[in-house]
Amino acid sequence: MFIRTVEHDTSLDKFRAEVRDFCERELPSVIREKQKRGQHLEKHEYISWLQRLGSRGWNTGKWPKEHGGLGWEPAQFLAFQEELGRAGAPPLMSFGPTMAGPVIYTFGNEAQKRQHLPGIIKGDLWWCQGYSEPGAGSDLAALKTRADRDGDDYIVNGQKIWTSTAHWADWMFALVRTDQTAKKQEGISFILIDMKTPGITVRPIIGITLGHHLNEVFFDNVRVPIANRIGEENKGWTYAKFLLANERVGNVDVAKVEGNIEQIRQLMAETREAGKPLSDDPTFNRRLAELEVGLATVKALMADQLAAARLSGAPSLMGAAALKLRGTELQQGILQTGLDVLGRHGMVYQSDALHAGWNGEMIGPESSADVIYEHLYRRAATIYGGSSEVQKNIIAKGALGL
Amino acid sequence: MPSLSSEERQQLHDSLLELLGDKYTFEQWKKIARSPGGEGFGRAEWKEFAEMGWLGIALPEEVGGSAGGLTELGIIMAAVGRFILLEPFLGTVVLGASAIEKAGTEQQRQMLSEVAAGKLLLAFCHGEPGGGYARDWVKTVATRDGAGYVLTGEKGFAIGAHAADQLIVSARIGSENGPVGLFLVPRSAAGVALNQAPALDGRPGATVTLAGVKVGADAKLGTSDSDRLGVIDEVIDRGVIMACAEAVGAMASVTDQTVEYLKTRQQFGQPLSKFQVLQHRLVDMSVSTEEARAIVHAALQALDDKTRDAQRLVWMAKVKTAQCARFVGGQGIQLHGGMGMTDELSIGHYYKRLTMCETLFGDSEWYLRQLSLRRDAA
Ligand SMILES: Cc1cc2nc3c(=O)[nH]c(=O)nc-3n(C[C@H](O)[C@H](O)[C@H](O)COP(=O)(O)OP(=O)(O)OC[C@H]3O[C@@H](n4cnc5c(N)ncnc54)[C@H](O)[C@@H]3O)c2cc1C
Repeated sequence: MFIRTVEHDTSLDKFRAEVRDFCERELPSVIREKQKRGQHLEKHEYISWLQRLGSRGWNTGKWPKEHGGLGWEPAQFLAFQEELGRAGAPPLMSFGPTMAGPVIYTFGNEAQKRQHLPGIIKGDLWWCQGYSEPGAGSDLAALKTRADRDGDDYIVNGQKIWTSTAHWADWMFALVRTDQTAKKQEGISFILIDMKTPGITVRPIIGITLGHHLNEVFFDNVRVPIANRIGEENKGWTYAKFLLANERVGNVDVAKVEGNIEQIRQLMAETREAGKPLSDDPTFNRRLAELEVGLATVKALMADQLAAARLSGAPSLMGAAALKLRGTELQQGILQTGLDVLGRHGMVYQSDALHAGWNGEMIGPESSADVIYEHLYRRAATIYGGSSEVQKNIIAKGALGL
Repeated sequence: MPSLSSEERQQLHDSLLELLGDKYTFEQWKKIARSPGGEGFGRAEWKEFAEMGWLGIALPEEVGGSAGGLTELGIIMAAVGRFILLEPFLGTVVLGASAIEKAGTEQQRQMLSEVAAGKLLLAFCHGEPGGGYARDWVKTVATRDGAGYVLTGEKGFAIGAHAADQLIVSARIGSENGPVGLFLVPRSAAGVALNQAPALDGRPGATVTLAGVKVGADAKLGTSDSDRLGVIDEVIDRGVIMACAEAVGAMASVTDQTVEYLKTRQQFGQPLSKFQVLQHRLVDMSVSTEEARAIVHAALQALDDKTRDAQRLVWMAKVKTAQCARFVGGQGIQLHGGMGMTDELSIGHYYKRLTMCETLFGDSEWYLRQLSLRRDAA
């Protein structure tokens, strides 16, 4: 109980000011404007921002110093996210900094670190996650995409699905089967695939948001150098789980959540019921307070996991599961509140307004389309990164010994 | 209240499911919803529904209806929900027709025969920006102009307004403090401007700006200048209970689809339906659907019987149905996993429609508030 010391480092005030100042000067006005209007960024816009963050080392501030990070304490990383959220900056990138990077610096060899870490630190490259397959969702270890040795290469054949932003990605980290006969967890390897390799086809999946975020990725005799394998052959499951724990801590992007709460507060102020703004409504204010309690709790859980990661190299699988469970419920709760406000404007969803150049007339508050998009997209928060049911199974087995 | 016997209701229910199950497949649904430049619903389908007698089910016999009760209309709306029909039942058959029936003159009520025949589309344009769910927030004004009126004001997003022949517009007669009247305004009338947009569920509607729209004396529903807020209240209550009936049908479909999916989807070497936690979840979805069905049925019965507590029951039905819809719709996606998130599968479209039904005319919080405020009055 209450063991860990929570540092109250006043020097963070200086750091916070530095981040605020940085956002003020460096956030390109196109991005600022789009963020404000809830419009979606193009890849090049996103990359240009990540590169600016990268010039300070801030994409990977929480990485240990020996791997090119800044060795941030959890409190500093949280402060960083809060300031970004308040400044209206785009959400942090997780595929490289939270997922691929730590696996590479923990389990990769020197050549792999030299090849891949700088691109992630600098924010130059886009990564995607090739885990799920049509037959392997919650039962991830059932994956079938195979990699067969041929000289210095693996020949990869099979299919991934639900691959977020694969259409933007330069690289994919993927789980493939390298032993067809072993027990399912024991025949998996973790490899890095250059998305420009011949034989890869990326097909879009349109989501309930009406947006294109998800993809199917097909591999038809794709040659991947064996040198791109992380760690040992057939030990990929260990690295995969290490990554998942990091992913789940990162699933709840505190900056984004703070931004969403701010958006809802704004929506309430702009929405009237019988002439009075909802920001005066006791029921809505009570709900807002409840969401703030949720956020404070999730931040505290997150600080624990970041501290654990700093001490032992990784968050605990159990702790990450608990955080992911409650954090994603919180996200959904916030966006549900947003929807409950927007019902008063007729629940209009002008999804075209999410793209720059739209010049229609918005019905209701300016952020309506973004809030509805987010609401729909975050239905998946309790599905991706391992569903809530799966997190509960992890805790039941791992923490409670059931 | 003349209404159908239990056997006749069963027949109606069966014939709806049979015909729609046959013709209104999800493939067909996608074709209609996505037809380029389309209106978001099928004109041919609408005509067919008219021929089946579904549009006139609750309309008087003089206008070609079958004089059924609201329970019969509820049976139809449940089928509308089960197949997430895109056609304008709520706007035309429920809201529009009941406004004309309750407030119109003998002559205006003749329009209902065109509704029953599927030839006239209506939209109920009452809510206004700044009003939220308040039912008495009317700033639009109808000033007198000779024998007729001139309408000026802004109406909030109204479902189906983009395709309606006639808009039924509420406005204060004479001045901003005048009694609220209801007016028939042709969508094509000079001074009417629509901003068309899709709702969350993709169905089009529009906000309506009335900039000095001239209409004749016969545009006003009824002849007196008495306040129509009471009629409006009844019309909205009818919309509330029919949106609930629609949600009940949609929930039943979501539950069925999810049961089927979990029986076939294999993970960990077995169908997902073998996991007890998922069985219990499906049970909760099924029981929620049943709860909503029961209270909606009770409210429909109370409306048909014109009992004193009918409105209270309608509002209670709305609270319960909205809560159940949120749970069932959300779990429909959750239990389909990634599949639930795609636009190609129907489950997401059911989620969206349920979200609309849940919030149309007020959400559960709003009705809970109203119920608590009026507890003393009950
Ligand atoms: C928006 C989005 C983005 C995604 N991005 C990526 C990505 O970038 N890369 C990637 O690899 N994957 C990605 N995924 C895939 C995601 O990880 C899977 O969808 C998830 O693991 C669930 O798998 P599934 O969809 O096959 O559902 P299923 O495994 O079929 O599960 C269906 C339902 O059954 C439940 N269930 C399954 N097993 C059990 C059990 N044992 N006990 C109780 N309940 C159970 C699940 O919780 C779920 O509710 C994404 C998914 C979404 C929706």
